[in-house]
Amino acid sequence: MSAEIPKDSWSGTVRTVTLGATPAEGGTRSHVVTVGGQKTLPFMHFEQVAPNRPVVAVEIKDRCPEDWSPLLLEVWGDAAISPAAWAKQAEAAGAHVLVLALSLTGDDGKPTTPQAAVAATKAVLEASGLPLLVFGPGQAEADNELLVAVAEATKGERIALGICEDKNYRTIVAAALANGHCVTARSPMDVNLAKQLNILIHDMGLPLDRILMDPTTGALGYGIEYGYSVMERLRLAALQGDAMTQLPMIVTPGFEAWKTKESKVGRDVPEAWGDWRERAITWETLTAVTLIESGADIVVLRHPESVRRVRQAIDDLMTVPETV
Amino acid sequence: MYIIGENIHIISEKVKEALKARDAHFFQNLAVKQVEAGAQALDLNLGPRKADWEEVFPWMVQTVEAVVDVPLSFDSTNILGIEAGLKKITKCQPIINSTSAEPERLEKVPLIAKQYNARLIALTMGASGIPVSADERVNIAIEKLIPRMMEIDFPMSDLIIDPLVLTVSGCQEYCPELVEAIRTLQYAWEPPPAISVGLSNVSNAVPAENRPIINRTYCVMLMGAGLKMMIANPLDEPLKETIRIIETRDDTTPVGRLYLKLHDRVAASETPTIEDVDMSDPEQAAIWKTVQILLNKVIYADSYLQQEATA
Repeated sequence: MSAEIPKDSWSGTVRTVTLGATPAEGGTRSHVVTVGGQKTLPFMHFEQVAPNRPVVAVEIKDRCPEDWSPLLLEVWGDAAISPAAWAKQAEAAGAHVLVLALSLTGDDGKPTTPQAAVAATKAVLEASGLPLLVFGPGQAEADNELLVAVAEATKGERIALGICEDKNYRTIVAAALANGHCVTARSPMDVNLAKQLNILIHDMGLPLDRILMDPTTGALGYGIEYGYSVMERLRLAALQGDAMTQLPMIVTPGFEAWKTKESKVGRDVPEAWGDWRERAITWETLTAVTLIESGADIVVLRHPESVRRVRQAIDDLMTVPETV
Repeated sequence: MYIIGENIHIISEKVKEALKARDAHFFQNLAVKQVEAGAQALDLNLGPRKADWEEVFPWMVQTVEAVVDVPLSFDSTNILGIEAGLKKITKCQPIINSTSAEPERLEKVPLIAKQYNARLIALTMGASGIPVSADERVNIAIEKLIPRMMEIDFPMSDLIIDPLVLTVSGCQEYCPELVEAIRTLQYAWEPPPAISVGLSNVSNAVPAENRPIINRTYCVMLMGAGLKMMIANPLDEPLKETIRIIETRDDTTPVGRLYLKLHDRVAASETPTIEDVDMSDPEQAAIWKTVQILLNKVIYADSYLQQEATA
């Protein structure tokens, strides 16, 4: 029996955002990575094949993180104490792009200095040819101070600077504007606020092809359905032609999954929960793949095995069955 | 349009202070101003007044009734307070705002309304909250609210159904559904119950400068669906001018013609189109963008008026 599969035809297209710049483009990256460009909902290959694949980013830190799971510290080993070594290892693990997350304080317990942030960023750029995203520590004052220095020191590299939020975006956007970088715009799982922040950032003069939106998500079992729905709604609006939602989406399932009890805790949990390492990796992988299916263009991960599995899932999802 | 004046509302800082000081002059002034501006009833939203309901509700009735001759609407969750106020009513048939379909409220509140010969606003909201879809809201009216009134022999002419306006900023998907709920409710019973909504709720959490245009545009759309009664701000002159345009079918201005077109489109269950609008006129363009967010076609953002219009 033959059945006709109904096809949707959308008026809108998701914009493309290109991360990184090669020497020919004024940077030092070995290649660039482009996300976005979809004209249909994710993986509806029979309607229209997406021009770009979802991308796996690996999160590394400027110093060995104190609050990360021992499972993560164990697998990255000595690399976790050197941003350059960590970048190399993350690339070897299959990262398409790197996220360097700056810490609030240095090894000496004092606030991270702009010089230290720049040094870490440059070390990563020298160690790996992958396009880079740099996130501040998450406190407005520190974010602005460190990211401005990083933006200036890496002019032309087309880094994505994060994280812009509605309470703090002007300084970061200005730094991106002046130095040829992109930004990530984070909103708290709310379609209205996501769109509003895009408008505000665009109003400052940053072209829409230099903005990634981060609608925020929760991990599997911790609100992922809300994140999923928000992303789905934003993507539907984009395809319906709402210009201020037509931006590629970045989410941080690694951060979310590794703070859940199921990933964090290995002892005194029900035996039925099974092997800790396997459980934690599954948690991160399932969170990431679910979000990719709701339209995520970049997922930021932490464990190399999750990277391998998520990349495999993307390969499977991108396979176009010949019969349809 | 029958307007129940909304301005005596505890959410206003001035009202809060005046109530604390039992400033009778303030409330009498606000009551007279609203009635002079065309309010045909006055909503009294004093909050629950858990500590002093016994004194506050009667005081407010006596204060306001001393200067105006319109029905008073008791907008509170405190049934004891409402009852204390009802006992003091001497002029017009009062209104209780409100009951919902939650079992406990639906059990008690209609009985009080009947006992004191009050009209009753009944919300299409059940124990599990406010449904998004128009059909489910109408079902609450047909399956819960109206049967309860019949059960206690409450006069259907005293029932006012409120299918609930929610804000476009955060509950956007509810906005177009309410239009349909109002349309359908008029066929829910014979004779049809009165329908009223709280108009300004549509722009809760919206920056103050954008609230009036959202309220006005939504009002036109709801009138298209058949709305004839609402709780609203009678001192909002542009809103009243808009209502006048619709009611008198005044097509002498371009914006008036757009409002009438919008009203007629909704009345005919048609989707307004960008061809109805002269986009070179900024006021019309703003109305069009507002229609788009109220129909949930474009995601609301505080700066939605700055965004380029979409067809």
